[in-house]
Amino acid sequence: MAKERILKGIGVSKGICQGEVFVYETKEVKIVQTPIPARYLATEVERFTKALQKTEKELSSIKERINAEIGVDFAQFLDAQILMLKDREIIESVSERIKIEKTNAEYVYHKVLDEYAKKLGASRDQYLRERVADIWDVGMRVLRNLLGMTHSSVVDVPQGSVLVAHDISPSDAALINPNNVLGLAIEVGGRTSHTAITTRALEIPAVVGVENLLAKIKNGEKVILDGNRGILIKSPTPGRIQFYRGEIKKEIEYQKMLSPFCELPAKTRDGRQLDISANIEFFVEYSHAKRSGAMGIGLFRTEFLYLTRRGNPSEEEQFRVYDELAKKMKPDPVIIRTYDLGGDKIFSDYHEANPFLGWRAIRVSLDDFDFFKIQLRAILRASVNRNIRIMYPMISTYEEIQKARVYFKEVTEELKKEKVDFDDHIQVGIMVETPSAAILSNQLAAHVDFFSIGSNDLTQYVLAVDRGNERVSHLFDHFHPAVLRLIKQVIDAGHRSHIWVGLCGELAADPSAIPLLVGLGIDELSMSPVAIPRAKMVLRALTVPECEKIADKALNFRCASEVQKFLNRMIAKKFPGIGGIK
Amino acid sequence: MIKEKVTILNENGLHALPASRFVKQAEKFKSDITITKDGVKVSGKSIMGILTLACEKGSIVLLTTDGDDEKEAFEVLKKILEGQD
Repeated sequence: MAKERILKGIGVSKGICQGEVFVYETKEVKIVQTPIPARYLATEVERFTKALQKTEKELSSIKERINAEIGVDFAQFLDAQILMLKDREIIESVSERIKIEKTNAEYVYHKVLDEYAKKLGASRDQYLRERVADIWDVGMRVLRNLLGMTHSSVVDVPQGSVLVAHDISPSDAALINPNNVLGLAIEVGGRTSHTAITTRALEIPAVVGVENLLAKIKNGEKVILDGNRGILIKSPTPGRIQFYRGEIKKEIEYQKMLSPFCELPAKTRDGRQLDISANIEFFVEYSHAKRSGAMGIGLFRTEFLYLTRRGNPSEEEQFRVYDELAKKMKPDPVIIRTYDLGGDKIFSDYHEANPFLGWRAIRVSLDDFDFFKIQLRAILRASVNRNIRIMYPMISTYEEIQKARVYFKEVTEELKKEKVDFDDHIQVGIMVETPSAAILSNQLAAHVDFFSIGSNDLTQYVLAVDRGNERVSHLFDHFHPAVLRLIKQVIDAGHRSHIWVGLCGELAADPSAIPLLVGLGIDELSMSPVAIPRAKMVLRALTVPECEKIADKALNFRCASEVQKFLNRMIAKKFPGIGGIK
Repeated sequence: MIKEKVTILNENGLHALPASRFVKQAEKFKSDITITKDGVKVSGKSIMGILTLACEKGSIVLLTTDGDDEKEAFEVLKKILEGQD
């Protein structure tokens, strides 16, 4: 029996599964020049045409899957790829040159593509230069089909598999079938990578950043993947299997116990109503949010729009996603957060030493009005549904709010001129996640319609801790009294200006934080759909006066561990049957 | 045959999405369709050809349509180049 081995990574999507490894590899394409005898030239051209047909089928099915995943016709960028595939100039020139040069299709096709790629690559226009990647995306598919390379497709993964790969491209990730793929482990990636986002949306466990994974694991091996702890266990011992069976059973029972709470109102025992809403990344997650009892979308991350494709999404593409989501959630609100990635995601030649303190989120949007305008127009057009709200991420100064307001006004005036309908009373709020915004919240509150506290980034910036850095990540703790005091300040400032204050970081999903936040007077908590029933259960066992007492005490501790010990004790007393609720 | 100079007024130049639309429309017509820019002539039914012309907003191209449905083809395609579709 093989020896058990535990491979460590970062758990990016929760859950546990047990299955057989399916190694997904994209092999390198090698092109060799081969002479073709004259009598076989017609067959060679036919072989080329067949490869094109096969590729077209593949691209169409990818397009269908992406559209189904996102829920609307978003995969238009694949149309351009299909047109490139069917391009007459290319097909004619390849067919002719096969005959003239008496050479194999792979070689000629590769050469022709290379000529086009070089022409576009030399263009002054960045957009055209980026199309080179599209050409090769299509080209490689055709070449693999010509070479009869079985690109082990993500679609063909057998049932009960744990997918293992170096990396998964966005278009491949969109093809993952959760009925067959139980979980995913890859060598690269971080918490916010596209893979992380996709697996969370599919609700399958995933571990990323496992070093040398492919060298350590073989096709067909039995493994356990633990997305909660971020580990992949190779050849698990009978004891380990036993342990995980217990874990899975506990998880199922726990979910069963919680499920009745989905339907119940989010109210304290003494009648204080809270808005509990969902953080989602993909359109399709709206149904999970609804099933879990969310009273709206408290945070719709728009990053996937920029990550699932090359180039930036058009106004029309964005509009369709926002509009569909608003329709599905009506009359409950949908808060759309504008672009929240680093500048490197849209400007390929941009790099910086300190991205967390760099050119990202609203800073990118405000520096490039043409870019920002597309998103604002799309959101505003979708606001005809009358339930959309806009939220700007990473605001750190008053001037940014002012500048965003000027741009916003320009866009609304443009829409009015075009006689395009939108919600004139749309709420515009900001994320409070930088220390400066939190400290000055009493000044900022007069200029926005709501605050949503982004507790993850706020904690990171207040404590000066990069949670991705192993040596210091233990210092990251959102229960740090310094963070809690700032949160109180923000809530108080908001209420003095009569605006509502929510919180959409991981803190919102932590059961022991709920009494504290209720005690501080929070109006809304937004969390991943899975955490909602538990939050409701905790909330429904509390009264406002006891929460206020808890908050008062928590704010006066010296350090995070004291706060946590106090809150854990309180939760254990309140819910003795549950023991360690996560 | 219809032959006329057209200025690209489409906001983003004749880039992937407008180019895709152009080619898809062009394919619906029987006529031969070509675009010429700076002496380089490409088929209006080839996206790769059009992309390699690198038509930015404001550039002037020669659009020709030649065949039974040349008139309709010219009308429709000119609109795309001018960003009015």
